[in-house]
Amino acid sequence: MLRVADKPESGVSEARTDEWSECLGLIAKNQDRAAFTRLFRHFAPLMKAYALSGSTLSANHADELVQEVMLKVWQKAGAFDARKAAASTWIYTIARNCRTDLYRRLQKFDTPLSAEDVSPEQEDPDAFSLLQQQRNRDKIRELVNTLPTEQAQILAKVYMEGKSHSEVAGEMDIPLGTVKSRVRLALQKLAIQIERKPHE
Amino acid sequence: MSKYHPEQDLLTEYAAGTLPLAQSACVSIHVERCGQCRRQVRQLTELGASLFEHLEPVAVGDAQLNAVLARLDEETPLAYDNSRAAPESTPAILQRLMRGDFSDLTWKNIGSSLRISYLQTGDPRHELALYHIRAGGRIPNHTHRGNEMTLVLQGGFSDADGNYHEGDFLFRGPEDAHAPTALQSEDCICLAVLDAPLKFTDWRFRWMNPFLKLRAV
Ligand SMILES: [Zn+2]
Repeated sequence: MLRVADKPESGVSEARTDEWSECLGLIAKNQDRAAFTRLFRHFAPLMKAYALSGSTLSANHADELVQEVMLKVWQKAGAFDARKAAASTWIYTIARNCRTDLYRRLQKFDTPLSAEDVSPEQEDPDAFSLLQQQRNRDKIRELVNTLPTEQAQILAKVYMEGKSHSEVAGEMDIPLGTVKSRVRLALQKLAIQIERKPHE
Repeated sequence: MSKYHPEQDLLTEYAAGTLPLAQSACVSIHVERCGQCRRQVRQLTELGASLFEHLEPVAVGDAQLNAVLARLDEETPLAYDNSRAAPESTPAILQRLMRGDFSDLTWKNIGSSLRISYLQTGDPRHELALYHIRAGGRIPNHTHRGNEMTLVLQGGFSDADGNYHEGDFLFRGPEDAHAPTALQSEDCICLAVLDAPLKFTDWRFRWMNPFLKLRAV
């Protein structure tokens, strides 16, 4: 379990490469269809699961979403920067934004803003925050499976089913405060801390 | 440097993509300018990504793959410039919504100290508006029936709970009453998001009619 801490820290300024970021690089550089196919086989089934976990999308819409997200991945591969984000995180945010936009389209929402417009841009990290970011990532991925069921269940509803805290409260018939405190406890366990100086 | 930030639960909903559009727009303008919240949101997004990776995959057939492959020709990968422009003084989202500059907006005067300009986001349940309070101007005491999100874009204001400056973000529930006063030194511009216009109409009605309010007491 100390795998992460054992990594030499001298490699910090280098981008972390993995199979998926290599695929994105190949797409950006060579329009490599084989790399795209590998990405598709791994991520499309996750995207379909993500599309269907909200339970309001039909199977057709879920397939449409998978296609749309994968096309975006193809088009935008050049914008992926392995120094700023893990490939899977980058792909997840595209899926999240596309799903939000699809929900809004289905609700006949007429808006000049897309979900991408209101989601934050990745910034250029310095070496220190890059290291910090990688540690956070590893920690979150390591700890997410150790959460108590009642906390994991609520996080799944919020993130994967795309429900607001109050929708979760209504659906589970528990007070909103309970939902918020379970989320808070889960975030504490995952060491997602609020670095706040108190007001004043 | 902001002193007042969105609470963690709000940032969680923002990162999960479940925040209503008008609220997301307001939060994103704060986050764009606030390093602390950006780091928070990044971690909260990592959480979303790791939940995503742990989903039970649902089979996607070769027909789907082939359908996408067939469409790749129409979709040439775009060239990207990865350098990030410094945030402009007027947030990009607002520029988009305003279709111009502050001076091009249509303002509605409410009393002598306040004017409001409504921005169309398409969000049917929330109202997004710019509030312009004259330097030293005071807004009469009021409560809300819903939630009110406020982001200070320029200048500052104070109420019984504190002083708020550029970049500060406030979220007030229905139970909170306040009487904001703009700082004496300069005009204050805020971005505000209110729940359900219907509730807001009622609140606005009472607020715009102090005599009626007095008689009602
Ligand atoms: Zn902040």
